Amino acid sequence: MENIEKDRIKKAYLDYVLRKGTPPASVFQLTSKLKIQEADFYRSYPNFDAIDREIWADFAREARQQAAKEPVWEQYGAREKLLGFYYTLLEMLKQNRSYALQSLRQSLKRMPGLTPRVLDDFRQDFEVFVQDILQEGKRKDEVAVRPLLQDQYPRFFWQQALFVLGFFAKDESLNFERTDAAVEKAVTLSFDLVGRNTLDSALDFARFLVQRR
Amino acid sequence: MEETPGVEPAAGNLTGSRILVSLPTTKVARAARFAKTGLKVGANYVKHYAKRAAGVTSETDDLHAANAAELYGTLSEMKGSVLKVAQMLAMEKNMLPTAYADQFAQAQYQSPPLSGPLVTKVFREAFGRSPFEVFDEFDINARQAASIGQVHFARKDGKALAVKVQYPGVADSIRSDIRLVKPIALRVMGLDEAQVRPYLEEVETRLLEETNYALELQRGTEIAAQCAHLAHLEFARYYPEYSTNRVLTMDWLTGQHLKEFLATSPTQEIRNQLGQALWDFYAFQMHTLHRVHADPHPGNFLLRADAGGTVGVLDFGCVKEIPADVYELFTALLTAEALADETRLADLLTQADVLRPDDAPTRRAFYINTMQASLELVGRPFRQHTFDFGDPAYMTALYALGDDLMQQPELRQQREPRGSEHFIYLNRTYVGLYALLTELRAVVRTERK
Repeated sequence: MENIEKDRIKKAYLDYVLRKGTPPASVFQLTSKLKIQEADFYRSYPNFDAIDREIWADFAREARQQAAKEPVWEQYGAREKLLGFYYTLLEMLKQNRSYALQSLRQSLKRMPGLTPRVLDDFRQDFEVFVQDILQEGKRKDEVAVRPLLQDQYPRFFWQQALFVLGFFAKDESLNFERTDAAVEKAVTLSFDLVGRNTLDSALDFARFLVQRR
Repeated sequence: MEETPGVEPAAGNLTGSRILVSLPTTKVARAARFAKTGLKVGANYVKHYAKRAAGVTSETDDLHAANAAELYGTLSEMKGSVLKVAQMLAMEKNMLPTAYADQFAQAQYQSPPLSGPLVTKVFREAFGRSPFEVFDEFDINARQAASIGQVHFARKDGKALAVKVQYPGVADSIRSDIRLVKPIALRVMGLDEAQVRPYLEEVETRLLEETNYALELQRGTEIAAQCAHLAHLEFARYYPEYSTNRVLTMDWLTGQHLKEFLATSPTQEIRNQLGQALWDFYAFQMHTLHRVHADPHPGNFLLRADAGGTVGVLDFGCVKEIPADVYELFTALLTAEALADETRLADLLTQADVLRPDDAPTRRAFYINTMQASLELVGRPFRQHTFDFGDPAYMTALYALGDDLMQQPELRQQREPRGSEHFIYLNRTYVGLYALLTELRAVVRTERK
């Protein structure tokens, strides 16, 4: 029962933002439209920002679930899974492009480089997902085991996600084609970095020289 | 045995892991690469002049070769469209010193293959379904890299299909690369922008057309239907229901590329029949359709020995439509009459913008002489009933002609290209066709019926 109400409020809010381009001026404005008590709203959400956060978290969760439905998903390595996630996410953002662009452009402008508050819940979901695929990547030797450093990977990948979202928000190419290319290249690069590469050999060599003494 | 369709062989292999060469992607990075090359090329010139001042004889060819190597090194680190522009320029040997031309001829497009998820995404966008749902069978690993996309193998209702998927944002990237490369390339090659503009526009138009798969489907289907009556040719059928601007689905043709085919030592009869099929194909397009498949690269033809020799034609991405007046001019230039009658030749060359009214008489005479020599050689197959492309003397003479022309001080100093811009792709077509026929060592009936 409560969830149905929550969904209704979320939909009405989204609808309002799409129509007017800004969040409603007050909670009362929205609840009167929905013909419910203001108190009903506060039972579901503390404020509008919370709805924004939830909408973004929904994007992340649905993108993950959708991407996993692909018949070849199980054959994908970690790199492809992350790519699959991004492409599905972008697809969903495109379907809600007015909302997504408005919300991204607003919050990314305010704090470049930092994680906007609206993406807090999105981030949690995303980092869990990245942890999972990196674990799997390690089993399949796609990701190098690097104690200490690897704890920072989720944060590193989150920066990548922010880059992708920022690129999407600023992309002016037809059908966001340049974002596709950006995702492809960014993910390839990141997996080249977390995979076994020159860095590991250099560290190994350095360790060997130090140990000999 | 199944062979690869529609594409030029890629330098790297697609199976397994592919080594990624560093690819500067941002405009700034690319511009930086160019700036660096500009400096190095400049340094080569300084060395050259320093040597000359010191009385050391330095061959200008060495200098060109050094510059070309420098440029090529840079270009091969960059995305392919730049290389394609370079390749196009290289075709017009008149426009560039030979050293540049030779280096550019090696240029190959290098781009990492599209990931599985992106291919899936392109399909979802285009058809609302993943390729595994669209086709009965789909190989997510590309079989071959094409210049602006990659080719996947698929099967539907028992039919083997080739599915070409385009890299995202290729058209945009070609546009920006052209803007980026043009000023620097022009400077390095000592050309004037205003004078080469029509030529570059022609090349740019063709390059961008190649990114339009819908256009390729339409032209490929039309030309295949119009050429259906020609013997020993095979065309892939295109499937509009599985094609969009970025996805092109066609029959998977079988056969071997020229090199592998020749390695099977086919008989002279088979080689003649293949050569004849190619010649008839081009003659028909030229004289009847007035538009030609303008990319007779060996990778675009699949050869088979069955039925005495069959040619599979692939890739209608580059098609040159020939305006009526250009067609008249082009064919007139190849006739025996034009060659014999100097005033007629001068008249035709003026129409073609090779001769200009304000040219000095000596210059005029020089142009007429060189053009006469080239046309005599290049047009020779057109003036005979049958022509033996296997005659090694002929190809040697053709290459020698090119070298000779470059030795002419008048041509070397010439910094303005001449002739109609439509001739770029006509020349490319015939150069490609002659190269194929000489490799095949085919004897061909060249007389027009």
